[in-house]
Amino acid sequence: MHNLLEFLAKYHHWFLFVVLEVVSFVLLFKYNSYQGSVWFSSANVVAGKLYEWDSAVESFFSLTKVNQELTTRNVYLERQVEQLNNQLTALTENPDAAKAGQLQMLNDYKLIPAKVVHNAITGQDNLITIDKGEADGVRKDMGVACGNGIVGIVYMTSSHYSVIIPVLNKNSNISVSIAKRGYFGYLHWQGGSSRIAYVDDIPRHAHFRLYDKVVTSGYSSVFPPGVMVGKILHVYNSADGLSYRLEVELSTDFGLLRDVCVIDDAIMKQRLELLRAAQDSLKTKEH
Amino acid sequence: MALDLLKRLLFFAILLVAQALVLNHIHLFNCATPLLYVYLVLLFPRNFPKWAILLWSFALGLCVDSFTNTPGVAAGSMTLIGALQPYIFEPFIPRDSAEDLEPGMRTLGVTSFVYYTIIMVLIYCLAYFTLETFNFFNWIQWLMSIGGSTILTVVLILVIENIRRG
Repeated sequence: MHNLLEFLAKYHHWFLFVVLEVVSFVLLFKYNSYQGSVWFSSANVVAGKLYEWDSAVESFFSLTKVNQELTTRNVYLERQVEQLNNQLTALTENPDAAKAGQLQMLNDYKLIPAKVVHNAITGQDNLITIDKGEADGVRKDMGVACGNGIVGIVYMTSSHYSVIIPVLNKNSNISVSIAKRGYFGYLHWQGGSSRIAYVDDIPRHAHFRLYDKVVTSGYSSVFPPGVMVGKILHVYNSADGLSYRLEVELSTDFGLLRDVCVIDDAIMKQRLELLRAAQDSLKTKEH
Repeated sequence: MALDLLKRLLFFAILLVAQALVLNHIHLFNCATPLLYVYLVLLFPRNFPKWAILLWSFALGLCVDSFTNTPGVAAGSMTLIGALQPYIFEPFIPRDSAEDLEPGMRTLGVTSFVYYTIIMVLIYCLAYFTLETFNFFNWIQWLMSIGGSTILTVVLILVIENIRRG
């Protein structure tokens, strides 16, 4: 017993070393599934606050460009709305009913505006931190978009900050479709440039042109349909030759990301639950 | 003793903030990131309690991890060099030196300090990038990251050490 104690006393720092390494490795391997580790991420209060100050300082220097971009986008959208409205009134006899329908659709989505406090675009698995959390109604798996297009999906939330998996992350997997043509596939990012992503699983019989717009499909129940993703730059054959793979230029400039919106979509959630219920009932029938 | 602790705590905070707000944004040639916080471990004096070195390095690693959303990567690597520091420092100690000799250009001489820094930073970068690329292995990227970050970190530490000495 005495010998054992002496042994422990002599080599205690090695035991400490082993314990600390084990803690590190547990953190390293459990991170992806263990939600408690939100405390060791940039969503914790101290790191979040510090990044918030940092981005407040940084924003002074980038505001001009961001403003310019938003104004251009705003003007473009206003013109588009006007055009569409004109078309709608021309096609329908009752303009008031059409307007009411539009307003109804907008009510389904609640947008939570947020500011990006930390953003990385150079790594393999980039994450974004925003300054809104559970207290503001942000929940896991909500979609996030900015003025120019999609950003990503909420991954972890603390009370006042959330971490987002952006498109620029190896684990990001968003259902998208080619605008007006309907063919859909999955958006992936392969590292490298922050402007280029790939859409897989587009069928061989699909018709589309280069520079066609790619938008969210609405199948993933995270994003409403029609949120801008980017435009097609190149078309490749997939590795197995069974489908097309599109190289897409993202419309969101992740390097300049400042203001984003979290999309709170209660209707979507209902639809997802219905879909799950339908799948479950099919399963029970099979048995 | 209390003053020493306070000084080290301040150094800890400065390294952490510098890393989180400035150095983590640097990616020269898409591979070289200065990992300056290794500096904390470099400066533990001779005969400093080993358990304390381990706790200091683990804590700094964990804090840096919190900012980069990579829990365990920096913490594990920092603990590793924290454990190795006394043994790597040992051969560089000049004869007849004080019991609590602090590593530095002035105390070790320039050549010894440069070698000591290179060995420590290289081991750190090796551990760090091996852990980081665990699920996505790319030989070229891995070697480039280790090489680039080691060079950049060593240069940065030597520059700061030179200013401190002067």
